[in-house]
Amino acid sequence: MYPIWEGVFVHSAMYVAIVAAFHVLASHLTVAAAWFNLYLERRAVHENRPEFYEYLKRSALGLLVFAYVFGALAGVGIWQTTTAANPRGISTLIHNFVLYWGAEWYMFLIDVIGIIVYYYTLGRVSPRTHLKLAWILALGATGTLAIIVGILSFKLTPGAWLQTGASLDGFYNPTYYPMLAMRFALMFTITAAWACLIASTMPQGTPWREHIIRRASVMGLAGLIVGALVWLFWYYPTLPEHARQVMASRAVPPITYQVIIGGVVLTALGLLLNIIYPRHQRAVIAVGAMGVLFLAIFGAERTREVMRKPDIIAGYMSSNQLVIADIPARGVRAEESRLNQQGVTGQLPFIVPVKAAQDLYDTQKQWKTGKLLVLQQCASCHSVSHQTSIAIGRHELRLRPVDELLASRGATTPQAIEAYLNAIGGFPYMHPVKGTQEERAAMAAYLYSLVSERTAPPTLARR
Amino acid sequence: MEMLNTEMLQMMRDPLGAPIHPTIVQVLLVATFVLHIFFVTLAVGASCFALWAFWRGSEWQRRLARVAARLAPNAVGLGVVTGIAPLLFVQTIYDPLWYAANTLTGFWSTLFIFVVMGGYSLAYLFYLKGSPQGKLLWASGLSLALLLLAGWIMHVLANTALYPEYWREWYAPNREPDTRGIIFHAYNLPRVTFLLLVSSVLSLGVTLMLFAWYFRQRDDADREYLTQVGQLGKRLALVAAPLLWVTGMMWAFTQGRQFGLHIIMALVFTLMALLLREGFRNLDPLTGGVRALGIWLLSLLGIGTVREVIRATSVARFNYRVADYPFVWDWASVLVFALTSIVGMSVIAYLALVLYDSGKGEVRPWVEKLGRISIGMLGAWLALFILLGLRLYL
Repeated sequence: MYPIWEGVFVHSAMYVAIVAAFHVLASHLTVAAAWFNLYLERRAVHENRPEFYEYLKRSALGLLVFAYVFGALAGVGIWQTTTAANPRGISTLIHNFVLYWGAEWYMFLIDVIGIIVYYYTLGRVSPRTHLKLAWILALGATGTLAIIVGILSFKLTPGAWLQTGASLDGFYNPTYYPMLAMRFALMFTITAAWACLIASTMPQGTPWREHIIRRASVMGLAGLIVGALVWLFWYYPTLPEHARQVMASRAVPPITYQVIIGGVVLTALGLLLNIIYPRHQRAVIAVGAMGVLFLAIFGAERTREVMRKPDIIAGYMSSNQLVIADIPARGVRAEESRLNQQGVTGQLPFIVPVKAAQDLYDTQKQWKTGKLLVLQQCASCHSVSHQTSIAIGRHELRLRPVDELLASRGATTPQAIEAYLNAIGGFPYMHPVKGTQEERAAMAAYLYSLVSERTAPPTLARR
Repeated sequence: MEMLNTEMLQMMRDPLGAPIHPTIVQVLLVATFVLHIFFVTLAVGASCFALWAFWRGSEWQRRLARVAARLAPNAVGLGVVTGIAPLLFVQTIYDPLWYAANTLTGFWSTLFIFVVMGGYSLAYLFYLKGSPQGKLLWASGLSLALLLLAGWIMHVLANTALYPEYWREWYAPNREPDTRGIIFHAYNLPRVTFLLLVSSVLSLGVTLMLFAWYFRQRDDADREYLTQVGQLGKRLALVAAPLLWVTGMMWAFTQGRQFGLHIIMALVFTLMALLLREGFRNLDPLTGGVRALGIWLLSLLGIGTVREVIRATSVARFNYRVADYPFVWDWASVLVFALTSIVGMSVIAYLALVLYDSGKGEVRPWVEKLGRISIGMLGAWLALFILLGLRLYL
């Protein structure tokens, strides 16, 4: 266990989500854009269409500045944010897949060095040599996708790894192929918005402008349809029953689905209009489409993260970073029963041990211990203080605040809160609270202070 | 207290262990750090030079500043990408150190990437819109400030990791947890000056000599300009070498002394300063670029090793040794990495050769052949990677 970083103003989990959505937008763009550029460059070489190079040059510069480097930066950003928000979760992935990530690093190098070479050698090497660079970018970018999907899907469906502990069993897991197929298809939708943005910055009347907008939009719409079909008929049916239950529960707010479906419909309509009226495409519309896609991706990525709850790695580690399964092949033992028998305080680093058992009944010490325990057990998914809130007028933006949830369930006294803590485990998206009865009482004391602060007059509110 | 910290570090270690012998990971960590720090310091050096030359430089220096302005964002990009590998390896064998430092400094750890994105974007803005006429110097200045802030954050994370004995006090002084992660808990000014500032002068100097070496081979080369560039690179390197020694000594006698490493660090930095001075002194600035790069990369390997020795010595106080890190040989992992290394190096070599040849006008036939082979290998690798998992359905 590590120190808990709650976040500042914004909850730590939301930092991860924001950076992840941006990373997906940028990194997915690099894959399909590389294939689209390869398609155009092949036509430029084989059909003698040198006018396409103007588009390729603009696209390559944009991809170099925005997608490749920002994609890599946001990828590092995900590591940094997940490390700060959930270190044991990322540690599990690292200790299984470090060498797969090492392999992906080569693909990153190929991508970033490749796009630099691609852009700076346009017109300076023969077209056929340059076409080779386009091939390398397309294959290299797809290589990064093929690797990262194994690690991402492992978190949701670790498959046979739970029995064997072998990395290959975890990597090629039940949702690997459906996720790979769905992401690959949807990447072309993101690329369509990008290609329309690049093409629409060219003057009206440029001969290939409408041609590229139409081709990119057809490709994007096809990607969207194929992606939706893969979701409906392959990915969703492959999901574990538990994940489907969580998706249907209050753990995923209804607005998430409204954003995703709204984003898909708007994107489909936009692409359809582009196919019919390519000359009306404008840069501002394409930027708007990228914004819509960002929101839809944000919703989809949040859903993907939430549907694993209450685990960060399904069946192996809970969201609050405790190992919940034995993996004999790797010498791993579950921590749950030990913590229930011996208590959490003193058993995990950074949960300060009490010097004497009676300390847990000292009000002030009990409150402090309770806070440490609530941070460890609840803060991964909930706002447990006002540190992670942004006030907008009379409203506060927080992530599933514990005081509001307890109050809404009528748990407004220390006894009622303690009883509620004892009962947790009945929801599909939460594990039972760990620790001894005294520790639960300490947690209740801290939570009661939050609930009473919420309902008390302002002058009495602060401790 | 020692016993408690020892126990704490053992408990924090990931129960899964490493998928390969930890010493191999340690070697990879140091080796990839060399690449990373070279590009990071080059980005800082190039930004500093572009800013200075546009502000006060002569005509040929302003011409060179335009090259530096183009170099800076590309070096940031390469610095970020090469930084991924040491980031992976440090988490594998030093997970308690890296994760504790990141959670204790969570706000800055999270902000880091936004800072780098800002620095990178402004560097590109300056290159594309400002550098042709020497305008938008504010963008260049702000970019440099952000890059230095990013370097400072990484420096603090690396230093916080070195002091496990203070972690609990930093996290919960008087049992009251501070979960904001906004305090810079540990830093060492000589170390950051040595690693980030003085080294950036050397990386820039070496790259300028490399620039002169490369472009002198072209028929249309402006030899006077290239001689000036090469001489400037050599001068910068010769000025920075003793500065590296001075800051190295200060690092040795502050942080190095805390871990009983000051004598050995002093010795290493003295030898390194001598190597740099002697190596650069007799170098022809127009033809010695490759040799200069070799000398500097060797020195960076020494610096990376010193960093690693400090870290290993720090945790050895609590009986935490990399060689003792639990591991299983996960042969699938090893095979994936080894195979990708072969393919990756071949493709990267091809890309570098195309870039090299493009400046001379024509790509050599054997390079074209290497390209065909590399693409074939990359395609086969991708097919194998995707098809390997089909056994799920068999």
